[in-house]
Amino acid sequence: MPSPVLQLTGLSKSYGHGDIFSGISFEVGSGKTIGLFGQSGSGKTTLGRCIMRIEEPSSGHILMQGQDLARMRPGKLRELRPSFQMIFQHPEVSLNPRMTLADSVAEPLMVHRGIGMEEALREIAPLIRRVGLRDEHLARYPHQLSGGEVQRAVLSRIFSLKPKIVVADEPTSMLDVSVQAQVLRLMQDLQKETGVSYVFISHDPDVMSVMCEETLWIEKGKGTLYDRFGFLERVKTQYSGAVPT
Amino acid sequence: MTLLSVQNLNVRFPTGEGTVHASRDVSFSMKSGEVLGLVGETGSGKSVIGQAIIRLLPTSASITGTIAFNGQELTTLQDDAMHALRGRSISLVPQNPSGSLDPLVRNGSQIGEIFIERGMEKKTAWEKACDLLVTVGLIPSDQIAKEYPHQLSGGMRQRLTTSIAIAENSHLIIADEPTKGLDYQARETTARVLSGIKTRDNASLLLITHDLYLAEHLCDWIAVLYAGEIVEVGPATQIFARPRHPYTQALMRAIPKNGLVPLEGQSPSLMAIPEGCCFADRCSCHSEVCKMIHPDLNQEPLIGGVRCHHPSCS
Ligand SMILES: Nc1ncnc2c1ncn2[C@@H]1O[C@H](COP(=O)(O)OP(=O)(O)O)[C@@H](O)[C@H]1O
Ligand SMILES: Nc1ncnc2c1ncn2[C@@H]1O[C@H](COP(=O)(O)OP(=O)(O)O)[C@@H](O)[C@H]1O
Ligand SMILES: [Mg+2]
Ligand SMILES: [Mg+2]
Repeated sequence: MPSPVLQLTGLSKSYGHGDIFSGISFEVGSGKTIGLFGQSGSGKTTLGRCIMRIEEPSSGHILMQGQDLARMRPGKLRELRPSFQMIFQHPEVSLNPRMTLADSVAEPLMVHRGIGMEEALREIAPLIRRVGLRDEHLARYPHQLSGGEVQRAVLSRIFSLKPKIVVADEPTSMLDVSVQAQVLRLMQDLQKETGVSYVFISHDPDVMSVMCEETLWIEKGKGTLYDRFGFLERVKTQYSGAVPT
Repeated sequence: MTLLSVQNLNVRFPTGEGTVHASRDVSFSMKSGEVLGLVGETGSGKSVIGQAIIRLLPTSASITGTIAFNGQELTTLQDDAMHALRGRSISLVPQNPSGSLDPLVRNGSQIGEIFIERGMEKKTAWEKACDLLVTVGLIPSDQIAKEYPHQLSGGMRQRLTTSIAIAENSHLIIADEPTKGLDYQARETTARVLSGIKTRDNASLLLITHDLYLAEHLCDWIAVLYAGEIVEVGPATQIFARPRHPYTQALMRAIPKNGLVPLEGQSPSLMAIPEGCCFADRCSCHSEVCKMIHPDLNQEPLIGGVRCHHPSCS
């Protein structure tokens, strides 16, 4: 069996006032999606940030393609860094407000490959069209774009680095249903085309069951794994009748 | 009895680049005790309608049409009379909760002051405020009541503004995106609180939302907006079970549990509205007539109406 792209064992995080979560273990295979589900404040974002190493876990291990990043030499880590990326919930903070879209989408390639703006834009052009943005968008600043357009730009930025793992933190919770469908479909297509694995964070059970083969339900700091069917069953028992009809 | 009647409402914003025609010939009415949902994508003109009713649009806006509330015309009402209606007869749960909360007033007093103003004793008002916080799921309520708005998360502030509108006990509550960004549990709490409005005192709710799940569960009637105009209106059950406008149909298909089918393309700019049907260039069943003639919304009582030359075509 091929080794998982991402593997967590016994991961814990505390902030002094107690554990946010503890004993979290799961693995994700290539081209697969795992969901992180839970109420707001349950620690989904914190777990995502630990995976991205924006945050240091208190204990436990994270293996990326079989390697423990915590024990990696800085040079090697820098090499691996582009292969894991994160999408944030609020489109308006995802891009630098003072940069045009062209600058924003070209930036990662320029930084990681040391190439110029023109070359970067030339290379990323097919991807920009792939996510459904047009040349007219490139001269605009983030505030001149809709939320859906910003998330498309973020996707082209991230996928220019050919990532193996993308942590998507409620990428569509601020978008309309019709735009949400566009962005989620695009994410699914990009997964089929590139074999990327997703850690998909959401608090919407319907979105979760469409996007994820497996879901980790985080509750009171503990995680329970469900397959698609088991997850929906659990949602039904947990929430049935809570909304008056 | 008709509580609110909006007829041929047009709202235009002059800007440097041209005139934004944000609300176009919008007509609807609401009875007491009824919940009407205004649904549609971001920028379709939902909030503008709510703000026009409660008269909170910027002075630059040019407004035509009539808005009758309890038989009283609001568009020409004196400012002080309008001021007296706000928060007593008509309440707004605004889309951006931060702007409507006083940062220097404790959360409990934001609600309590309404009761005190109506002659309640301070201590009782505080207790009632805490009860309301529990109702909207802000627990532990006695602690949250003592805190200030900036100590709350965005979702909690949203629920606080909802509880303020409940406290005002108005005949009409306009709730603008009351569930935006809330998690599943908080959404259910808010849905329960809002559905309590219609069972209480025959009050009415104008629900502005792009949360179709919420709209389906709460609304008696639904009006679907596209590019500033109503493209379909009808009983909520009918809109969800048998949508007739191609845009409404596409909206329903985009819901995750209905298949997550994306609707490609964009709505037209409100500065350059097409001559014919606004949805024609995204519509799979458009014909020549759609590009040339703007369809009417032929409304019938009890059934509603649809603004389409080829209704129920897909
Ligand atoms: N830097 C921090 N310091 C202290 N507590 C934090 C910090 N970041 C997050 N938390 C706490 O961790 C918990 C989980 O937060 P978060 O991961 O954002 O949850 P979710 O994404 O599921 O809504 C919350 O109770 C939050 O208050
Ligand atoms: N003060 C204003 N000046 C110019 N345009 C405005 C103003 N307020 C709203 N608009 C425009 O009117 C349209 C409808 O806005 P809005 O009612 O807020 O949409 P929704 O609530 O459906 O998202 C949008 O295109 C918006 O940009
Ligand atoms: Mg989060
Ligand atoms: Mg709005």
